[in-house]
Parts: sequence; structure tokens; C-alpha cells
Amino acid sequence: MSHLSSRISRTDHASASTQIYDAVIVGSGVAGSILANELGRQGFSVLVLEAGPGNDLSIAEYEASVERFYLSASKDNNSPYAVNRNAPMPRGQETVKLQPGRPNADGYIVQNGPLELDSTYTRVVGGTTRHWEGKALRLIPEDFEMRTRHGQGLDWPLKYETLKSYYAKAEAEIGVSADVEDQGYLGISFEPGYVYPMRKIPISYLDQVIGKNLDGAKVELDGETFSLVVRSTPQARNGVPHPGYDNGKGYVAPSAVSTHQDEMGQRCQGNNNCVPICPVQAKYDARRTLVKALETGRVHLLSQTVVSRVHIDSGNGRVTHIEYKAYKDLHGKEHSAGTVKARVFILAANAVENARLMLASGLPGSSGLVGRNLMDHAYLLTWALMPEIVGTMRGSQCTSGIEELRGGAFRRKQAAFRAGIHNDGWGWATGAPYTDLLALVDDQNKFGRALQRGLVDRISRQLLLDFMVEVLPDPANRITVDPDHRDQLGNMRPVLSYRLNDYTLDGVAFARQLSRRIYQRLGAEDHTTYSPQEPGWVDYQGGGFVIRGGNHWAGTHLMGSSPKNSVVDANQRSWDYPNLYLAGSGSMPSIGTANTTLTLAALCLISAGHIAKELRSAPTAAAAR
Amino acid sequence: MSGDRAEFEKFLGLSEVLTGFTKFRLQGTGQGALYFSTLTDVVGQGTAGELLQAWSGVAAAAGQDEGKLERLMRSEILSHEKLGPIARNLIKLWFVGTWYQLPAAWREVFGTPERDRSFVPAASSYVEGLLWPTIGANPTGAKGPGYGTWADPPNIPKV
Repeated sequence: MSHLSSRISRTDHASASTQIYDAVIVGSGVAGSILANELGRQGFSVLVLEAGPGNDLSIAEYEASVERFYLSASKDNNSPYAVNRNAPMPRGQETVKLQPGRPNADGYIVQNGPLELDSTYTRVVGGTTRHWEGKALRLIPEDFEMRTRHGQGLDWPLKYETLKSYYAKAEAEIGVSADVEDQGYLGISFEPGYVYPMRKIPISYLDQVIGKNLDGAKVELDGETFSLVVRSTPQARNGVPHPGYDNGKGYVAPSAVSTHQDEMGQRCQGNNNCVPICPVQAKYDARRTLVKALETGRVHLLSQTVVSRVHIDSGNGRVTHIEYKAYKDLHGKEHSAGTVKARVFILAANAVENARLMLASGLPGSSGLVGRNLMDHAYLLTWALMPEIVGTMRGSQCTSGIEELRGGAFRRKQAAFRAGIHNDGWGWATGAPYTDLLALVDDQNKFGRALQRGLVDRISRQLLLDFMVEVLPDPANRITVDPDHRDQLGNMRPVLSYRLNDYTLDGVAFARQLSRRIYQRLGAEDHTTYSPQEPGWVDYQGGGFVIRGGNHWAGTHLMGSSPKNSVVDANQRSWDYPNLYLAGSGSMPSIGTANTTLTLAALCLISAGHIAKELRSAPTAAAAR
Repeated sequence: MSGDRAEFEKFLGLSEVLTGFTKFRLQGTGQGALYFSTLTDVVGQGTAGELLQAWSGVAAAAGQDEGKLERLMRSEILSHEKLGPIARNLIKLWFVGTWYQLPAAWREVFGTPERDRSFVPAASSYVEGLLWPTIGANPTGAKGPGYGTWADPPNIPKV
């Protein structure tokens, strides 16, 4: 039970502009919230600027989002969040088939192509963790050494071993449910005696049926034999706390934000709606961490505040201040401009927005790499009907996956992938179950009980496998800005150029082939089809696939070993501007086959320790507080 | 029985046949009155009246003969150029709580009522959609079935 108002120290734009904070953080998503909480707890004064609306920290506001989802006819992954013309966000339906040479400027992100990308993010308090699904997989050790081990992509300036203890801290912060016994594959290791904060989320009946028929299936690839197994997926949603956690001290699952209702913030109830919103706050979102930060009394939050420019002192290369536009409401463009000052500035607005802001500030970096090497997972969706009713549309959206092909010697030649098993049917691929209803009523002329039987037959046997395929850093994949494309406040919108190379497409093709074998083994009817008319279509050896985005934007300010090969160092500190940090998945030099949130959370915990040390050692540290 | 009440009863009777659910079950969603007013608000009282009158005729002619009822439903309502798309919209409304904009072909011939766009009449309309219980599930994002329930085999009511 939280009593937000009593503990939080509030501010307004006028007073914030008179203060010199220890740190100003742009963005209240998972990266910004973790940094704010860590720094606030260590005694530093922090101001968080959030472009999105409202406080979004009350139960009433949360329920308004749930209701907005109920009332939305589209139910896309930003449907719970109010349309905001002053901090617009991309929506999947804005991604349309491009005509060669003609960018699509109709959505928030201007798409240059050649490939369309339907990924999104959310500009609200808590950021995209509001609509994320909550998969919390660690990268595998070889993901950090792609160049050395596989001759592809880039090495990180740090290794899995360095990140290991931070992964554990991140798993505590975001509350991950998993069993260590299931997760030690492909070199993933844990600190001695480690257990996850909460037991694994029970795997679905669908997973069990698949496992019964699939476990032990052999796959040959590049001279290696892989034995498939259906494995439970680590998830950032509340399960049963592990009594052995932290050497037997146990784990208290985080509650919902600002609530006194018992059914809120408790264990996952199987609402099958992690994306776009968990109605009971069983899923982690960054507001949980943000509230802890605010409750330190040293962290201020200003929402409806869009940062428009980062200013550099050309003499010493330090950031002097940040300029913002604070708007009055979501529709009109009435706003007031202002500036804030701090000793350290942290951009934590996500990989697209961080790059956009740097470029809009005229700061492409001495390496010229800001905005480049944009990555996202290439998702190949395949879908089938199981031979028996498996109870589709129950449980969290995914409870298991197939992980064996996340690593191996084959990565010299083609991309790795994992497969997620979907409990929510074909929705992602086809718009099920709505499209099933429409087809039965409009095309198959069913009504009454025949319609009911048709629905059971079409939906309750649905199985969708999402193949999350690795994408390597490619400097041509990038975010830029263009003065001709601005939002209502005059901020330049992100312009996206995106393509996929053969390394990824060979992995995609292998995944498609594997899906056929899996369906053959399960006796499932394969209903997968791809059309060249769809956005995301890629030609491949006379055929082709439709590739969907994963909302895992990364790489646009990647970390490396020198100012020549990267934008930030292993602490996410800008090589060019010593009091500037670019935090989040934009810092990742590879994304392997893990959703980015857990890894970026671990990176931000590393950065927090480093920034705290810097702030303490700088001469003005004590005086400024 | 007042005129409105009689029309509403006809609406429920038609809905029973379209959805395969009893009036009791339909009324249990709490959406009956809202859907009736949605129908009349979108297509107008005149057109709604035509649909319900056609239904009355079908019901009277079919009596207890289910085969005849189905044939007449198809010949008099579902294949009717004007009434068919509206009847199909009522099915969708009951099953997923969304009024879908009528097909372009319908709008070309019969006009473009101002309120005819795709919308969800009330948050509870989504939550009470009948598709979900039909497939042994709950609406995604509402009526959470409880921790771990998804590990058990599904139990879908036979139709």
C-alpha cells in the first residue's frame, strides 16, 4: 500500500529552472526510472522530464487506461494511451506498404524504407514498459562477443561475467519469475546459490501438449545437433515468491502503484493481455521503480515536458543545460519553453528518441554513429491449428519458448533465433479472434449455435510461434531528422531507414523450415501465408516472408571500446561530452535473441554506480546538495 | 406492453436466433438495452423497425420448426440487401462488443448514417462479449481467471 502524496516532493517548471540538480534524466521509462531511483537513494537530487502526459501514478489514471483499451475498436499496443499531439507515438497501423522512393510521413515515425517496420513505443510515464509483454530473458555469453566468436557484428566492451550480478539485481528490481533449473542453457550461468525472486509462471496447457510431442526433436545445423525442448520463459510478472531468494531472506513481490485494492499488483491472473496493458498490474512497469524514486524525496518528476535540445559548451565539451517545451494539454500546441541545469545529464528516452534528440541538437557525435546501427528483432510469425482443442486465449501471452537455436557455431553464417509459443492465438499475425468472428459471420454465413461451434473450432486450436530472429548492427539502418518533418511543437520527428541483410534472412528461412517440421511433428495444420502486398515483405530466393517488428529498438548510440567505434563507453557515458549519458537499449552493440529490457536495466544499474561515483568525486558534489 | 418494450422483446428474440444464446444469457450481459439503442441510434428507428418487423414475420411463419426458422432467417433477413448487414452487425456486437461500420456497398445504397463508424458502445460491452465464454476463455484484459488456471486442460461447453 503506497501513500504517494505524503512522501513525494513535488516541483513545478518555475522552481525546477532555478535549481542545479545532480542529475537531469530525460524519460521516465525503465532506464530513466532505475537511474532516478538508484541516484535518489544515494542522496543525489534528480529531475526526471517525461514527454508524456499526467502523473499516471494513481489507480484512477491506470484504470482510465484499461477502460480506454476496452473502448478502443482497434486494440493495438498503444490503444490504452491517449492520443497526444504534443508527444506523438508510433502506432502499428501507421505502417503501410511503401512505394519505392516515397517515404511514408503519415505516422509519427517517417519511414524511408526500403523495408517497413511496424515497431512502436509509448510516450507516457513508465514508457514502453506500460505495454511490454514482460519477457525477461538474459543474453547468452556469446552475444557479447559476436565479432570474436563468430566473425559477425560487434563485440561489447564488457562480457557476460561482468553483467551477471547486475542481471540478478535487475531481476530483483523488475521482479522476474523463473526457475534457475530451466535457464542455464548455452552458457548462461548464475552466481552461486542464485534463485530468481519468484518461481516460474506455470506453463500453459498448450505448452504442455507441445512439449509432450516436441521435446527431444533433433535439429541439424552447420554440423551441430540441437535437441529441442519446450522451456518456461522468465517473465517480469508476479508469481509465487521463492522462499530461498537472497540466501533464504525471501522476496516480497512488488505491489501495484498507488492502490489499496487487494486484487491489484498480486500474482498474474492470466488476463492474456500483457500487451497492451495488464489490468491488474501483475506485470512490471517502470512506474513501480519511479514511485520508489519519488518516495526518496529527492527525485522530482515533470511530465508533459518534451525535451527539445541539448546544449553544449563548445569550450569544454560539457552539457550546460537542456531546453524543453512544456505543453498545457494533449491537443492544443500551447506551451512554454524553459531550461534545466544539472551536473550530469542522462538521456533515457529510448533508442529512437535519444538519437532523435541528439541529432535535433546538432550532435551526431565525433564518430558519426549517433542514430546508426539501429536494431530490432526481425519477427517471423508462423501459425497453425492444433489437432485438438488446446484452450487458446488463456494464461499470460507466452509462458514457454524454444531456446536451443539462440547460440551455436552456425552464427558465423546465419542469424540465431528463439521461438515464443503464444497462448493468445493468432492475434499478432491475423487479428484473431476478431478476424475469425468476421470471417465466420461475413464469409461463412454462420449464425446461432453453428457460429458458436465454428468459433471453438477456429480459435481454441490456434497455435502461433513467433520466431525472434537476430539482427546485426548495420550503419545504414538509422534514425535521422529532417527539418521538413516536425511535430506540432516544432520538434523534428524521427526518420527511419531500415533493411535486413542475408545473415538475418537466412536465419528467417531456417526458422520457417523449422516451423514446418514442428507442425508436421505436432500434426498441426499450417495456415501460415505471407503476401508481397503486406508491409514488412522481403523477397527471399524466389519467395519471401513478412517480417514484423519487435519494439526492441537498439543500437543507435552503441557502446564500444573507443570513441572511434562507438558513441558511449561501457558506463553509457558519451565519449564526446563527459557529463552526458545515453542510457537504454540504444547502447547495446548486439541484441542477440533476448528482449532488450532486462539487459538495459542491468546496464543502467552499472551506469548508476558509475554516475554516483563521478558525482561524489567531483568538487562541487557536497555543495550542490 | 408499451411499443418500445414490444420492440425490445423482438430485438431480444432476433438476437437469440442470431447468437444461439438464450434471452436469459443475453440479458445477463447487461448490454441488451444499450445494444437496442445502439441499433436504433446508428441506423435509425425506421430501418431498425424494418428489421424487427421482418423478424416478427419470420418468427410467426416458422413457429416451432427450427429448420424452417433457419431457412427463413437466411431468405428474409441474412440475404436481404438492406437488413442482412445490419443483422450480421448485431451478431458481432453481441460477440465482441463492437459495432463495425456497415460495409461500403451498404453505405453506397442506403446512405451513410452519421453514427455508423466502428466503435465500442461501452467498456462493459467489450468485457461482456459472448465470444469469450464460447471458447472457454475470458475477455483478454478482463475477468482474470486466476493464477495458474491456464495450466489445466480447457473445459469448453459443448454446443
